[in-house]
Amino acid sequence: MGQTQTQTEAANQPDQKKFLSGAQAIMQSLVEQGVDTIFGYPGGAIMPTYDALYDYQDRLKHILVRHEQGAGHAAQGYARMLNKAGVCLVTSGPGATNLITPIADAMLDSTPMVCIVGQVKANLLGTDAFQECDLIGISMPVTKWNYQVVDADEIPEIMAKAFYIAETGRPGPVLIDITRTAQTDLMTKPFEYIPCKSIISYKPRVEPKAEHVEAAAKLINGAKRPYILAGHGIIIAGAEKELNDFVDKTGIPVATTLLGMSSMDADHPLYVGWPGMHGNYGANVLTNSCDVLIAIGMRFDDRITGDLSTYAKQAKVVHIEIDPSEVDKNVKADAPVVGDAKAALRALLPLVNKANHSEWRAEFKKYDDEEYEKITKKDLFHEGDKIKMGEAVNLLSVKTKGEAVVVTDVGQHQMITNRYYRFKKRNSIVTSGGAGTMGFALPAAFGAKVAVPEREVVAVIGDGGFQMTLQELGTIAQSGLPVKIIILNNNFLGMVRQWQQLFFANRYSFVELQNPDFITIAKGFGIAGHTVSDRADLSNSLDTLLNSDKPYLLEIICEKEENVFPMVPAGGCVTSIRLE
Amino acid sequence: MLTNYTISVFTTNTVGLLNRITIIFTRRRVNIESLTVSETERRGVSRFTIVIKHENREFVEKLVRQIRKVTDVLAVFGYLDDEIVFNEIALFKIATPLGGVPVDVKTINLDWNAKIVHFGLDYVVVEKNGSEADIQEFYTFLKKWEILEYVKSGRVAVGKTEKGLVEFLPEEGIWEIV
Repeated sequence: MGQTQTQTEAANQPDQKKFLSGAQAIMQSLVEQGVDTIFGYPGGAIMPTYDALYDYQDRLKHILVRHEQGAGHAAQGYARMLNKAGVCLVTSGPGATNLITPIADAMLDSTPMVCIVGQVKANLLGTDAFQECDLIGISMPVTKWNYQVVDADEIPEIMAKAFYIAETGRPGPVLIDITRTAQTDLMTKPFEYIPCKSIISYKPRVEPKAEHVEAAAKLINGAKRPYILAGHGIIIAGAEKELNDFVDKTGIPVATTLLGMSSMDADHPLYVGWPGMHGNYGANVLTNSCDVLIAIGMRFDDRITGDLSTYAKQAKVVHIEIDPSEVDKNVKADAPVVGDAKAALRALLPLVNKANHSEWRAEFKKYDDEEYEKITKKDLFHEGDKIKMGEAVNLLSVKTKGEAVVVTDVGQHQMITNRYYRFKKRNSIVTSGGAGTMGFALPAAFGAKVAVPEREVVAVIGDGGFQMTLQELGTIAQSGLPVKIIILNNNFLGMVRQWQQLFFANRYSFVELQNPDFITIAKGFGIAGHTVSDRADLSNSLDTLLNSDKPYLLEIICEKEENVFPMVPAGGCVTSIRLE
Repeated sequence: MLTNYTISVFTTNTVGLLNRITIIFTRRRVNIESLTVSETERRGVSRFTIVIKHENREFVEKLVRQIRKVTDVLAVFGYLDDEIVFNEIALFKIATPLGGVPVDVKTINLDWNAKIVHFGLDYVVVEKNGSEADIQEFYTFLKKWEILEYVKSGRVAVGKTEKGLVEFLPEEGIWEIV
């Protein structure tokens, strides 16, 4: 280390006529930006940077994944936990294209990421050189910003800009494509890293306009049946306390979106569950009975609204959102408030009246009771032979006291997990919402564990999704981090099967899986695990999983053809929700 | 009914930005009728003038906001035709072989407000400025000669007022005037 520092210092002396190489400048920029973890995979066009990384190992922890997609999802899990950009480092061509799925996922789920990808030498650009691919072109629709670096001197400024854009406003992924030339060339000036504070063409509004806040407060104060939809924006802004203060004062019932889940204690008396396709009965139906709908940090995704022409038409809409292009995009806002959720709620709090809305709240209770009788009870206290997903998740919730970080993949188990895990702690759900990326959970759980090693991190994954990125078991094993993995195995691509059953006349088209022996696979990677199929063993099995101080895989054999309810049919009206 | 919308996009001068802007149209399956890019009175600021036809004003407003979201975009204005002064330029290369119908320079100049900008050996090049309709009409008139080549620019436009459909002005204007 000493030697490196001396070299770096020496290299920064102008009179020595030797400045940092572009590759060193990348490393130095990361260090000065405060990055300490990189998820990556080396290869030809990024080798100069990996060579520089060799000298920075004491300051930058690099985690070698098994596939670039794993690096991306791990960086997402990491970013979601810490609310700062996850960093990926991969090579050009296929290395970079493998990152596209996580980048697209991060774009839809507003996750800050800085992806540094290698590129062929500048003089080879556009020649179909080995492992050349136009990543700027490919990533353009799925990044918040991207940039190709051909000049080593640009590196500090571009890196600073990348982090600023990724982390501010509505966060998102940024891709920096760095030619091999820019990595190997020496800078022509001393390295200087100035953190980016503003960009002339990019001015995310944090503080909302006072008149907009006043208009929103007026609507809220006049409401008899107000209803809050709290989204991911609450968690990104760290506005959980502000949300609670606001709710406690106004007595307004709150539903959280899939990604906004855990922004409110699941046992809070004003918490009414979640809206959307597999959300709660009351949370959906009463959207069409409220008089003022207060959406905070959410974007009215079609999985929430169903048919827009029948969605909340009776309600005045207050939309608090940092991204102005989301306002009026799907649902017309009567009182838009562009700004950060935390700032907006702080501004609103003194302007809103104290209220109780007990009658209105009781309506949610009525629907809850019906849902409990028709669905929840059957899911949790099921008497058939096979374990149901719901009871497994419920038991996990009880055993972890609702305090674990839960990372889910995509499909039935995801919906079930969000139904039955009772989140007690803020920022505890990591899931692929907008993109619905199967294969997300295993690497994302690993990334989350890297970010918050002190917290219990449990990945809940289906048997289908697990097989999309299971090679990351190798990464987990190598790190030794005790990531807890649950496979809810029903030998089906369950959600697709459910749709085929309900909407395609039982025509099961390619949804049944012949699965491998997951435990043997885990053992092959050096990860212990076992299978449970008997209800009597479920509790002990979860204890074994949770008590392990090493990574552990628990395979739970579940009922094969279980369906997730409630369900709003795709594109249907929220009141057309089915309970069976 | 399809309405013309002219969208003026002000951007920093960055490589690849044209692509970043046009994919917003592609994604929403909107056909771009014309597009011109030019420097502006401010150094380092480019101006895109994009014309589209659409039946839904709200859709265009959303489109404008999506364009504004692009990091390197400084400002976006969406205009209806009566909110702007706009023009196009067309060049016609017309055959004038020996023994053919002579080109009527006077009519072209006075009646059509066009001018001959180049005399070749057996052809002339005529320049015509005006609206799309003006140019179309002139094209019909010129058909009595053989038209060897015809090219027309996209629309250029300046707003009559500062207000467009959706207005986003950068909060600081520190650019140097060229």
